[in-house]
Amino acid sequence: MSKTNIDEINRNIYDFKNKDEYDFKIKKGLTKEIIEEISLQKNDPDWMFELRLKALEVYNKLELPTWGPDLSELDMNEIATYVRPKSKLNNSWEDVPEDIKNTFDKLGIPEAEKTSLAGVGAQYDSEVVYHSMKKELLDQGVIYTDMETAVREYPELVKTHFMKCVPVYDHKFVALHAAVWSGGSFVYVPKGVKVDIPLQSYFRLNSPESGQFEHTLIIVDEGASLHFIEGCSAPKYNKVNLHAGCVELYVKDNSYLRYSTIENWSKNMLNLNTKKAIVGKNAKMEWVSGSFGSKISMLYPMSILNGEGAKTEFTGISFAGKGQNLDNGFKVVHNAQNTASVVNAKSISKNGGKCTYRSLVRIGEKAKHSKSSVSCESLMLDDISVSDTIPVNDIQTDEVEFSHEAKIGKISDKTIFYLMSRGLSEEDAKAMIVRGFAYPISKELPVEYAVEMNNLINLELEGAIG
Amino acid sequence: MVGLNETPVKTSRNFNINNLKLENIEIPEVIEKFENVTIVAENLKIDEECSDFEPSFGLSDFLTRQVNENSNQKLRLQIDGKIQNEVKIYFDFDEENLNLVENIEIIAKENSDATVIVKYEAKENWECYHNGRLRVVAEKNAQIHVIFVNLMNTVSNHFMTMENMVAENAQLHYTMIDFGGKNSVTNYSSDLIGNFSENVIDTIYLGKENQLFDLNYIAQLQGEKSKIDMEVQGALKDTAKKHFKGTIDFKKGCKKAKGNENEACMLLADTAKSIALPMLLCAEEDVEGNHSSSAGKIGEKELFYVMSRGLEKKEAMKLMVRAKFHKILEKIANEGLREYILKEIDERLD
Repeated sequence: MSKTNIDEINRNIYDFKNKDEYDFKIKKGLTKEIIEEISLQKNDPDWMFELRLKALEVYNKLELPTWGPDLSELDMNEIATYVRPKSKLNNSWEDVPEDIKNTFDKLGIPEAEKTSLAGVGAQYDSEVVYHSMKKELLDQGVIYTDMETAVREYPELVKTHFMKCVPVYDHKFVALHAAVWSGGSFVYVPKGVKVDIPLQSYFRLNSPESGQFEHTLIIVDEGASLHFIEGCSAPKYNKVNLHAGCVELYVKDNSYLRYSTIENWSKNMLNLNTKKAIVGKNAKMEWVSGSFGSKISMLYPMSILNGEGAKTEFTGISFAGKGQNLDNGFKVVHNAQNTASVVNAKSISKNGGKCTYRSLVRIGEKAKHSKSSVSCESLMLDDISVSDTIPVNDIQTDEVEFSHEAKIGKISDKTIFYLMSRGLSEEDAKAMIVRGFAYPISKELPVEYAVEMNNLINLELEGAIG
Repeated sequence: MVGLNETPVKTSRNFNINNLKLENIEIPEVIEKFENVTIVAENLKIDEECSDFEPSFGLSDFLTRQVNENSNQKLRLQIDGKIQNEVKIYFDFDEENLNLVENIEIIAKENSDATVIVKYEAKENWECYHNGRLRVVAEKNAQIHVIFVNLMNTVSNHFMTMENMVAENAQLHYTMIDFGGKNSVTNYSSDLIGNFSENVIDTIYLGKENQLFDLNYIAQLQGEKSKIDMEVQGALKDTAKKHFKGTIDFKKGCKKAKGNENEACMLLADTAKSIALPMLLCAEEDVEGNHSSSAGKIGEKELFYVMSRGLEKKEAMKLMVRAKFHKILEKIANEGLREYILKEIDERLD
């Protein structure tokens, strides 16, 4: 039987680049003077300025992780941590400069806004250039704005939540983020308000040898609900770009939050992102994650189930091709009784790519009558790729139901034979199996992303098998 | 003592599993004679010419060096042909024999076939020290069953390194009964280098009081159609704690290899703790790898059913634990040893 050969995902729709034009670009490196300059440029309040300086100290003290992908090629002296585009914040696409607007047009953001979103934020390099939300939500008291505006206009709300869910000393790249953060979105959904249509923020990094450090802070108040979508991409350059964003989610009692991400960074990107949610009593946090881009990714969203009856689900897929090392996974800590977690993770490795599923399930002493179920599956599409599964299961009390299962392997010859005996060509049979493998994840994605993901897989499978 | 029993691949330090840090471990400076050894072996060659080697993984440099330089028991067994009767090597600790550092090497020649029982027992509350190494070389077509029985008490330190090499078409089966040791630390590694080589590991562990088990099992599959099966069943009561680190590593070239790993932990008290890290590492496409891991208390319904038949809760619980362990225990053909282990289970669950 001939060999499956699936090339990398076609990235033409993401790889277009604009000229590296900006209003202000800070010099490369990471020093106290640079932090002071960023803070000045952003007109920070005192508490934020102090937090940045403290974070820099923590960054300098902490070491690089001793595990996971090799990050030695990251040289902060070669990264510009703040690039202000030639655009102020707008609430109409007409006012966004043409080249930037064209970028988001090509990515389909304004079109999606019209058809299926309740609000959109668009960040270009280090600043948000567009933010808008439907009036009905505004009338219900929903806040959806860029992070800088939130720091200015909702100081108490921000100050009591900013870097509290993800503390500055969590790890080195969180400290880096806190020192140089810029842009991102702030969402507050008041008690009892159900936001039925998703909000979406899209992050585009255009400038070479730079980093993006957006901060997303979402508070879903008691009894409220929200679906938030995050998208990200960048064109490919020869030198390393860095993404070290931070997402802090507060899912209060009886509320619901779904956080969907499609990460499609270019293959020169180091994606060292941190995402964490604190989940209250009887609240539910759902993560849906598609990880396709980046040269190196280290991304482990985390749910901390602090309230009795809190629940979380993680549904994620990673797709690693040539030169990619995607070290992704999920962490959950059960801290209260009757909490529950369900994890369904998949990965596909091809053309020399490496996928690692790395996870933690910790059921603490207080979390009696909790349940956790973890399933991960890895598909290898050739014999030059690598796939590892590294899950830690830490169970600290007896009244629990915990199970974990994982599988690794290739496309079954028997299944291909069966499908071919039903009249499918070998190519179509294999394509169907890969799509079927990804289906449990793609069906959870927002529809336009699911279609995009399937199209990407189809495109690459067509004519590539033989 | 730092960095004991490291995993082959590290994960986040915050997960507390990469290695074991033990404090206040008393390592005897002088290893005196250990004479309470019973060896029953017919038709095989025994000498003390064990090879000194650096294990691929091992517990730590210090413990490896101690075995190489300071062992008070050395045994090399060369197995040729089929050995009808079980080979028995029993180490019994007592007041006169408190410290054992042994180096055992089993060379199973081509086409050989044998069962070897290695048992360690410390009955009273003597604070014993054990640092052992067991190396098995299973040559082409060899069939070796090693029954490893750790019945140390719960105040001793028990360190064990096992290293195996399995050649073409050889079958190596380990049945491990791991009950003893205040700190019971095991590093087990198997290299399945031959095509069609097989390694089965069946383990039961039972922890009580303040016992800590740190089990680090590593299987590297290199030969085509090689196969590893790990089945680990355990129960923990009181404040016992267990770390299970099981790694199946599919190396490039091990086409059509299979690896299965199943680890289940029964928690018999709300203060018992279980950490598991079942790893699958894969650099070969044409393989099948599965692992599963579970933890929880004995099912209320099952317990209720057994109690409704007239048993008290403790007895019902013992019965359930014995039932869970039964599948592995029945692989021990020696009925006397099996009964002895069952009695030990009952006593430890009292």
